[in-house]
Amino acid sequence: METNTVDSKNIYYPPGGILMWIIIFLELITFGIALVFMAVSAREEPETFHASKMLLNSTYGAINTIFLLTSGFFMAKTVQFFKEQKISKASFFLKLTMLGGILFLALKGYEYDDKIRDGLTLSFNTFFAYYWMLTLFHLIHVVVGLIILGTIQRSMAKDHKKLKLEDLEASAAFWHMCDLIWLLLFPMVYLIF
Amino acid sequence: MKNTFLTTWAFLVFFTLMTVFVVDIPFQYTAVPILGLAFLKCIGVAFYFMELKKANLFWKVSLVLFLLVFIAVVLMV
Repeated sequence: METNTVDSKNIYYPPGGILMWIIIFLELITFGIALVFMAVSAREEPETFHASKMLLNSTYGAINTIFLLTSGFFMAKTVQFFKEQKISKASFFLKLTMLGGILFLALKGYEYDDKIRDGLTLSFNTFFAYYWMLTLFHLIHVVVGLIILGTIQRSMAKDHKKLKLEDLEASAAFWHMCDLIWLLLFPMVYLIF
Repeated sequence: MKNTFLTTWAFLVFFTLMTVFVVDIPFQYTAVPILGLAFLKCIGVAFYFMELKKANLFWKVSLVLFLLVFIAVVLMV
């Protein structure tokens, strides 16, 4: 197991790695631009956006926020335990992290099913076009994050000595990025308009 | 470290619950506290869970600037 610590204060070595942070910023900027466009559309069609927002269940959004935040907490604990070389604990918390992601997907799936049954699909109106595109794009990130965490879990269970701390930290950074994006999506999609 | 993560998580959940309650307050500018709380939650996740507080100042300032610009643009629109 490689747990060499790098100097995080060095501009080239942020926790998770510089490449991951470049990806994180690109993702945040992409989602940020899409959300600004959504706000512009909301200004043009305020009644449509308000009426459509009322068709969403903000409780689902809040519960999903708590799922992702709790999952993020478990991820942070996983990295901490791995650094302390408490591998069984790290593995257990990584599984809890993944459970948080799976619960998020399950609730999102239930919400999507609800919307499709009510005919609130992508083509229903401008608000729902944004709703589907933004939340589905985010959902894809969560699925990719779960796949990455699954491979990390496999490495940890198989031969944890081969798993590098940098790889775990980069995976954790990707998972937390899903939190960050959702923390911007939740108020914009479910609450503001 | 152990308590920091737990404290951060507790604050994040508290801010989320606060957001849900703020929405119901009949106030013309609810977007301001809602986005303000979103800003605090993003800072909590990035600085503590992602350990950005240990990173070079460049990364911290970049994230804070991005969030502030994003929120300002949304509020101005």
